[in-house]
Amino acid sequence: MQRIVVVGNGIAGLTACDSLRAAGFDGELTVVGEEHHAPYSRPALSKAALLEGGTMTAHQLPAPEHAATEILGVGATGLDPARKLVQLDDGTEVPYDGLVIATGSRPRRLSTGEPAELTLRTLEDAAELRRRLATRPTVIVVGGGALGMEIASGCLDSGCEVTLVAPEAPMIHQLGPHLSEVFTTAARRAGLTIVPAQAVGAWEDGGHSQVALADGFVLDAELVISAVGDVPNVEWLAGSGLLTNGRLEVDHRGRLRPDIVAAGDVAALPTSRGIRRIPLWTSAIEQSKVAAAALLRGDDAPELELVPYFWTEQFGLTLKASGHLPLDGAPEVLDGDPLDGSALLRWAPEDGSGTAVALNHRIPVPRLRRLSTPAPAAA
Amino acid sequence: MKITLDRPRCEGHGLCEEAAPQLMHLDDEGELVLDVEVVDDELDAAKAAVRVCPVAALRIA
Repeated sequence: MQRIVVVGNGIAGLTACDSLRAAGFDGELTVVGEEHHAPYSRPALSKAALLEGGTMTAHQLPAPEHAATEILGVGATGLDPARKLVQLDDGTEVPYDGLVIATGSRPRRLSTGEPAELTLRTLEDAAELRRRLATRPTVIVVGGGALGMEIASGCLDSGCEVTLVAPEAPMIHQLGPHLSEVFTTAARRAGLTIVPAQAVGAWEDGGHSQVALADGFVLDAELVISAVGDVPNVEWLAGSGLLTNGRLEVDHRGRLRPDIVAAGDVAALPTSRGIRRIPLWTSAIEQSKVAAAALLRGDDAPELELVPYFWTEQFGLTLKASGHLPLDGAPEVLDGDPLDGSALLRWAPEDGSGTAVALNHRIPVPRLRRLSTPAPAAA
Repeated sequence: MKITLDRPRCEGHGLCEEAAPQLMHLDDEGELVLDVEVVDDELDAAKAAVRVCPVAALRIA
């Protein structure tokens, strides 16, 4: 394999490039990125970066050292697997022997047509949100997932009056009912107004933004931010024959074909809970390592063994979780007390898929991981 | 080459320890300890540890 092309220059694309080099690939490596920047930490954008004074630095990663040819600010528009060519939006074609697809995802939007709301995924999005928050507008955040709640928390910390609109209890799909209650209580205590409703649309009206609810009510604020999920960037692969029901379904080694792998937010992978995307930082990194190895070594490369790691910081709470989410029922309390705000918790369902959660509790993550994986019974 | 930690940035995720357990570990309080600072013999592991940190608290210089 002489030429490998990596399409996508987020943490998945970066890790794929690094992993290919670390595995000894010294051929021609090209990375294509739609964003103009070097890769950065997206998780930081909705956390520390929202609150930093002065220049935003929390997202910055060390400069890449993979010595790939970088084609930045250019998107991919098509793929011809038979001729082994990637088509770019500047009209050029890039040939490959091996291809890594890491084009990530983009925010789902509430407004159709002209965007009436901000979303947060890119560095530009974060800069724009910081700029808008500086004038302390009234804010509506639509979406009760981790991103929506982190944004709402950051907006409150910036001195804004914030309303969160979500059809179900905040964080319930991410964490389950027990921890949802913990986070909802903390959010209310921090001053968040929660409107339990389904938002169905958003538009601009005379400098204000409005959000339509399913029951016919309309809410009004100076700034609307939506965080209602993400959509994988697979449109450029429509004619490639690689999509299954519109999804990019990879095998246990991240492969679509022997010469094409995919990793990160764009890929749907086999998990113990079915084929699904796991659009999280450590998931992207682990997938990319496995996919890079599979591209070079085929079946000799190891399969992905993903123990998901998730963290969030919001309303004074820091949560770290190792294992599959969300969590049903009440946990076993290993240390501390959730009502005191610091606890080490474990859910150990009978199917063996344990999850350990540290809530405002500093713990070495390798230990958290060991807690989440029950020790095999003694032989 | 030396690895350095920007301690205020570190959030104790410990992904670095998983990438390079021979170079660093989180202590019982969850604070990162660099066991090896001069990393010339373990440069690949050190780079992997630096790369995986979501808050870029580690640097190699």
